[in-house]
Amino acid sequence: MAFAYRFTCPLASGVHARPASALEHVARRFTADVSLTNDRTGQIANAKSVLGIVGLDIRYGDQCRIVTVGRDAAWAVESLRVFLEQSFPRADDAPPPSARRPGDVRLPPVLKQANAVVTPGTPVVHGIGIGRAFSMGGFAVPDTIPLTGVSDLEAEVHRVEEAFGHLLSRYDARLDAWDDGVESDVLRAHRSVARDPEFGQAIVHALRTHGCTAAGAIAEAEAQFSGMLAATGSALLRERALDIRDVCRALLREVYGTALPEDDIRLSADAVCLAETLTPGQFLALDRQWLKGLALAHAGTTSHTVILARSAGIPTVVGVDGLDAAALDGQDVVVDADLGVVVTGLTAEARRYYDMERHRLEGRRVRVHRFVERPAATEDGRRIEVAANVGSAVEVAQAVAGGAEGIGLFRTEMLFLARKDPPGEDEQFEQYRRAVVDAGGRPVIVRTLDIGGDKPLPYLDLPKEDNPFLGFRAVRIYPEFEALFRVQIRALLRASAFGRLQVMIPMISRLDEVTWVKEVIADERARLAEAGVAFNAEMPLGAMVEVPSAAFLIGPLSDALDFFSIGTNDLLQYFLAADRANPRLAALANPLEPSFLRLLDRIVSEIHAHGKWVGLCGEMGGQVRHLPVLVGLGLDEISLASPEIAATKARLAGLSATGCRALVERALQMSTATDVARLLEERDHWRPLPLIDPHLVSVDADCRTKEEAIKTAADLLYAAGRTERPRDVEEAVSEREATYSTGFGHGFAIPHCKTDAVSANSMAVVKLRAGVNWGSLDDEPVRVVILLAIRQADQATTHMRLLASLARRVMHGEFRRQIEQEQDPAALCRLLDEPSESSTPFLEETS
Amino acid sequence: MKIVAVTACPTGIAHTYMAAEQLEKTAKKLGHAIKVETQGAMGIENELTQADVDAADVAVIAADIALERPERFDRIRKVEVAVQLAIRSPEAVFGKL
Repeated sequence: MAFAYRFTCPLASGVHARPASALEHVARRFTADVSLTNDRTGQIANAKSVLGIVGLDIRYGDQCRIVTVGRDAAWAVESLRVFLEQSFPRADDAPPPSARRPGDVRLPPVLKQANAVVTPGTPVVHGIGIGRAFSMGGFAVPDTIPLTGVSDLEAEVHRVEEAFGHLLSRYDARLDAWDDGVESDVLRAHRSVARDPEFGQAIVHALRTHGCTAAGAIAEAEAQFSGMLAATGSALLRERALDIRDVCRALLREVYGTALPEDDIRLSADAVCLAETLTPGQFLALDRQWLKGLALAHAGTTSHTVILARSAGIPTVVGVDGLDAAALDGQDVVVDADLGVVVTGLTAEARRYYDMERHRLEGRRVRVHRFVERPAATEDGRRIEVAANVGSAVEVAQAVAGGAEGIGLFRTEMLFLARKDPPGEDEQFEQYRRAVVDAGGRPVIVRTLDIGGDKPLPYLDLPKEDNPFLGFRAVRIYPEFEALFRVQIRALLRASAFGRLQVMIPMISRLDEVTWVKEVIADERARLAEAGVAFNAEMPLGAMVEVPSAAFLIGPLSDALDFFSIGTNDLLQYFLAADRANPRLAALANPLEPSFLRLLDRIVSEIHAHGKWVGLCGEMGGQVRHLPVLVGLGLDEISLASPEIAATKARLAGLSATGCRALVERALQMSTATDVARLLEERDHWRPLPLIDPHLVSVDADCRTKEEAIKTAADLLYAAGRTERPRDVEEAVSEREATYSTGFGHGFAIPHCKTDAVSANSMAVVKLRAGVNWGSLDDEPVRVVILLAIRQADQATTHMRLLASLARRVMHGEFRRQIEQEQDPAALCRLLDEPSESSTPFLEETS
Repeated sequence: MKIVAVTACPTGIAHTYMAAEQLEKTAKKLGHAIKVETQGAMGIENELTQADVDAADVAVIAADIALERPERFDRIRKVEVAVQLAIRSPEAVFGKL
């Protein structure tokens, strides 16, 4: 009996890999044959095959048909109908395509003059990498292995089937083992390709009907499916072709074993990989110690290779067209993912440019590093702890070395995910103990298991939910899985004897939940005491404030708990009823909404009124522009990703707590997030900075051109933390320079601009080792460069008076001689930063 | 000679003041009396009144942008120069008077 169901494709990006695998998942539950037809093209595919489904190239609005035939066909078609109507339309969560086009690259003047070959692409992992180029080829069967001519067909088929079996169990074994999250996603994708019936059938078909060897059949299948995916309109699908290529390579290796030459490349010095495509497997085989950059012609922002590169922090540019990898092999190449270009044919000038870039980044690193050891405080002395968010114990030492004053959030989910059984008490204890020991006396806030329908665990058997974020998760599942929770509490109590461990409960919305947790803890404490096991009887207990109801229950919660931490990610999405994973709502879930700020203000002030401690551990804590708001709210701590900690401490030192509070008071009166964002642009809450300080002076700069000198000055501003966009400063200065040269003669130039790319009015001085041509009024080379960068907004300040006075003073030979002779940066600053005696002359003799 | 002058450059950060300084310095050297108004980023400073202008023999306008309140100079002889000239060779500016 056959059943049919018709539907129209509701997905804007068509049926790409993700919705296809969701559909395949449903179809596989039935023994009935399930076919899918795209009426636009007339093609039919097996709906139990992801590759078959995506091969149909179903686009938005295409009319399609599901037909089921077999014993449970009726049931199958009904289930598929429900799936296609309810879940399928939401299966499309493709990220928005990158807005940047390769043609948009504006090269900085110094690089533009360097006459190197600049090939644009799309940057997908930021950073700059320099190394010797090497190329990686695509899929190819070595010449030594014949593609046709099989004497025993059945033996060959058997060989391939056996290889499939081995490959699948290899994937299973690797997935069972402890593995990195991103890598396991890749493995799962590969496993699903290897399991795909269309894929296996295509290989067997080639063997039986085309006279192919195993190698020939695999190569044919590779070409067939890669071609099919490439022909679809979807970028996402083209990226999945890499996964197929990887599976084919792995399969070849299974069949031919040692007969296959080693295809991985050994790196022994800084290297940059150039490739048309790079499979995830090829990437993982490269030594990441030496791999400094990736330049790929055909990889999108979401390919697995790119995801892996991102987690390894390898600067990567994709969509790079027209690089001749063979000709470049062995030459030095730059992957500049900050600009989004690959630079080849490096001239001496281009090398100088990248030396300057390295110097710039190093300068910033050195400055930020000074804050690693310092306690975080605002310029007016208000302490606010800066702590780290971590997902495992091994990250703690690194976070502390990076300046973390504690661990504000230790997520324990990683311990529980991607395994068949929950971790035992001893295993957990060992992790928590290591965390507090590595924290070296700093507090470690461990959040108990925050898991639910969105992160299913095989051993919990949680129901699939339509709306998991509002569902059965976190503290709500503890009573049902009490044994699991008790194991975690025991492990935590035991670890509390080794350091400052604090326990935090996620998703508290009512007092009952706290009461229940406290009973369990008291119970476990008594059992440990009885058994003579050491623990800290005073171990603090706290709660996440992430459900809005908790904000209106601070009194009772404060009586029951020792501390709180605000989880802004969930609090924001619950409060504004805006799913944070939905890109269409991204603008809605804005933490600067005045309503949300009022909620935060209420939470912090109520908790403080009850004499308790409150931190913040959501993404908001890691965003630079929100920092003044967090300080103004009066939080005791902010916790963020560890690479940003020292930089955050450096920024805090520039903020005034009083100014920040005034800012928040004003923000609380605003009506829209736009108003608040505008308020943040004002600088009243930042410590007033002098126009110049010794870090903005370079007395012996090796610059060959005007452009290099301007870049050197702008880079000083970057290293000192006065701009995040030194290129914008350079550009604004060059634009001004284009009207007429600021080289006013006598070997001096005063390049200047008005730009809000600087966070404070600034002056940078670069004294050159040798003069450079500036197109000066007197045609003399320039040896002293005084760059002035003034914010658009604050021009009527004392700074402007100082600058006017400076402009007048440089007209005097004696002053210029002093500047030329002075080599001490501090003394130079004093010289430049004082107003002249008579700055406002008057008309003589005239009434 | 009694001279009034105005300096004004596009950004109003540096050249306005450099030119003013040069004009004042050179006037003193040449024995002229001068009052220089600057129209820079801080707005108008050392502002010339109508009386100042009326009492002067000549007005030097060293401006690369449109002046604020130009009507004050309607009834006086004007010498207009580029800001750069005032900075590079102020003597040449006075030579034109």
